[in-house]
Amino acid sequence: MEYKVIMPILSDTMDKGKIVKWLVKVGDYVKKETPIVEVESDKATMQVEAGVEGVVKEILVNVGEEVPVKTPIAIIDTEQKAAKTEESKPQPQTQSKEETKTTVDIDEILNEIISSPKAVSGSASPAAKKKAAEYEIDIEELQNKGELPKPAHLKDIDEVIIKKYFTPKAAKLIKEYNLDINNFKLDHKIRSEEVLNYIKQNNIPKITKLTPNQIAVIKNVQNSIKKPTFLIFEKINITKKEGIKLTAQIIKALALAMQKNPLTRSVLKENKLLTYPASNISVAVSRDDGLYMCVIKNAEEKSLNEINEWLKEIKTKRLTIEDLSGSTFGISNLGMFGIERFTALINDKDAGIGAFGKMNEGEIKVTFTIDHRILNGVEAAKFVNDFKEEIKNV
Amino acid sequence: MLYREALNKAIDESMAADESVVILGEDVGRYGGSYRVSEGLFSKYGEKRVIDTPIAELSIVGNAIGMAIAGLRPIAEIMTVNFSLLAMDQIINHAAKFRYMSGGKMTIPLTIRMPGGVSRQLAAQHSENYETLYSSIPGLIVLAASNATYAYYGLKSAIFLNDPVVFLEHELLYPMEMEFKELKNFDPFKAEIVKEGKDLTIITYLKMRYDVLEAEKELRKAGIDVEIIDLNSLRPLDIETIANSIKKTKKCVIVEEDHKTGGMGAEIVAQIQEKCFYDLDAPVLRIAGEDVPIPYNRKLELLSIPTPDKIVKKILKWKAENGI
Repeated sequence: MEYKVIMPILSDTMDKGKIVKWLVKVGDYVKKETPIVEVESDKATMQVEAGVEGVVKEILVNVGEEVPVKTPIAIIDTEQKAAKTEESKPQPQTQSKEETKTTVDIDEILNEIISSPKAVSGSASPAAKKKAAEYEIDIEELQNKGELPKPAHLKDIDEVIIKKYFTPKAAKLIKEYNLDINNFKLDHKIRSEEVLNYIKQNNIPKITKLTPNQIAVIKNVQNSIKKPTFLIFEKINITKKEGIKLTAQIIKALALAMQKNPLTRSVLKENKLLTYPASNISVAVSRDDGLYMCVIKNAEEKSLNEINEWLKEIKTKRLTIEDLSGSTFGISNLGMFGIERFTALINDKDAGIGAFGKMNEGEIKVTFTIDHRILNGVEAAKFVNDFKEEIKNV
Repeated sequence: MLYREALNKAIDESMAADESVVILGEDVGRYGGSYRVSEGLFSKYGEKRVIDTPIAELSIVGNAIGMAIAGLRPIAEIMTVNFSLLAMDQIINHAAKFRYMSGGKMTIPLTIRMPGGVSRQLAAQHSENYETLYSSIPGLIVLAASNATYAYYGLKSAIFLNDPVVFLEHELLYPMEMEFKELKNFDPFKAEIVKEGKDLTIITYLKMRYDVLEAEKELRKAGIDVEIIDLNSLRPLDIETIANSIKKTKKCVIVEEDHKTGGMGAEIVAQIQEKCFYDLDAPVLRIAGEDVPIPYNRKLELLSIPTPDKIVKKILKWKAENGI
C-alpha cells in the first residue's frame, strides 16, 4: 500500500510549509518514528516523522519549495516493509479531518428568510421620521389609511414624496433613469416634461441591463476578433426565384459547395481537425428577442422550399441549444436593408462566413471571412468558385 | 509582504533610527519571536536591546514601564493577549495612569504588542479577544492592526507616541501575504474605508476584515452595495468616519469576533446613536462572537464566531425582518 506523507500542520496559524532538508532519499527504509524531513513553518523549523514503516518510494516536493498544509510531500511503500516485518500491521492513513470550507449559498439563505415575517414594530425609523418631517408628510395618517407600511423606512417615505410631487409619468422616469429626487425643487407637482428636460440638460443615461443573449453575443464577437482571418471579395450572379427568399438560395448553393470542400465542414479542436459530413450552416437571424446565429442542419439534403420554410419558422420559434449549435460555416445577409457590401465576424467555431449585400441587376457583392487556421487562400478560392457555380443553378 | 514582516520592518527601522527603542518579552531574542516577528533583531541589535525575559508577564510590563520612565521607548511583547491578564495591574494601574498621577510630568512611551483572537483550536484559555477591556481604560491608546500597511505605519506611530499603546494583532494574520501600500500622510487614529458603497455600512476590525470582504462578494451578488470600514484605532474611536458613512448609507452592521455582550460593538452602537440617531433607517445589527468561552472542537469553534457565511445570512435576515 502507498502511504502519502502530507505537509503537517505544525502550528495553529500554519497555512504553508517549506521543505528545508530531506533526511531520507528514495529507496531508504524508514520506521514509523524515523525523521524524514525538516519543515519550516511560520514559527519554527521542525523535523517530521515518517508516520509509517516502509520504503520511501517517491519524494514529491523539493528542498526550498513551499506547499500548503496537507499537500502530499512524499510516498512511502508500506508493502515492502511487510516483507521484512510481518507482525506489525500497516498504519492506517490518519490524516486530520479536512476542514469543510464555508461556502455561502445565497438561494438557500433567501429561501429560508423569504417567509419570515417582519419582526419589528414601531411607526417609522429615525431617518424616515426626519425626512417625513422635512416634507410635511403625516406618517400616522398615511399609516391609518394603509398607504404607508408599519414601520416605515426611508424608501417608503421616498415613494410618498414621489407620489406627492411627481405625476405618474414623471415618477416612472425617475425610476427608469434612477434619478435622485433631491435634484428637483419640490414645491409643485412635477410633470414628465420637466424631468425629461432635466435628463436632457444633464445628459443622463437610461440604464438597461444586458440580456444573457446580449452578453453571449459580446463574448462570441470578442472571441471571433482574435481569429487569424483573411477576406475574399467577390460578386455572384443569381436568378431570383418567385416565392423563395434569396437567403434560401444562398444557403442551398453554399451547402452544395461545402460538400465539395471538406475543410468548410471542419472545426478545430485541441490540435485536431474535426470534419463533419453534413453541411450545417449558421445563419444570422434577426428576431424580436435579438440577433441569433441559427443553425440549419443538413442543408445539402433540403429542398429550396424546405430551407425557405425553415427561414420563416426560425424567426419566431422557441430556440433550443440544438438550433444554435453544430455549424461549420456561416452566412449573414444585409441585402434586404440595402447594404452594398460588408464584412462579417465568424460565428463560434465556424471555418468562415459569407456576408451578402443587396442584389443589383442580378448581381450580389459578397465578402467571405475565412479562418486561416482551417482554410488557406487556395482552398478558400476553390470553395468560393464552387459556390459561384452552384448559385447559378439554384 | 507578510503581516509579520511588516511588523518586523517597523520595529527594525525604529530601532535603527532611535537607540532608545528596545524590545523585551518571552522568546523575542534568540528564538526570533513566537510568531517570528522579531526575527533577526537579536543578532542585529544584541542582547541589551532585544531582551529575552522569563515567563512573567507582570514583570515584563513592569520592567518596560521602568524603562519608559527612565527615558527608553520599550516595546513589550506579550505572547498572547490571554496572558496579558497577568499583567493587568501594571498596564491599567500604572502604565495608563502615570501621566495623570504625576500631573503630566511623567510620560510612559510604551508599546505593548499582543496577538489575540480565535486561531485554530487553541481552546478557551488561548483564544480570547480582550480589546473591549483595554478600550475601556482611560489613559491607554488601543490600536488594532488588520493589515500589513497599518501594521507597519501603526506600530511605528505607536513606538514614537509618548503615551502607552496596546497594539493588538491577530494570530491568524502573521503568515498572511498582504498588499503593502506606501503612505505619505498617515494618521494612526483614522479608520480606513476599505470599500466604498451606498447601501449599508459594515464596521469591523482585525481578522474579521477578511471575513467581511468574503461576505461582501455574496452580498454584492444579492444586489447590496456595502461600504466597509476598518477601525484601525479602537481607542480613540474614529466616530467621524463612521458617522459620515452612516449619513450616506443610513444602515449599519458591526462585525466583531469578540463576545457580543458588552463588546466593542456595544460601545460603537452607543456612540452611533449619540452622533447620528436621526440618520438611521434601521436598528444597528451586531454580528459578534457567541457569549461562550471559545470551544476547542473545530466545528464548535467556528460556530462560536462570525464566518463569511454567517455574516451574509444574518445581514439578509436582518434586512428582511426590518423591511429594508
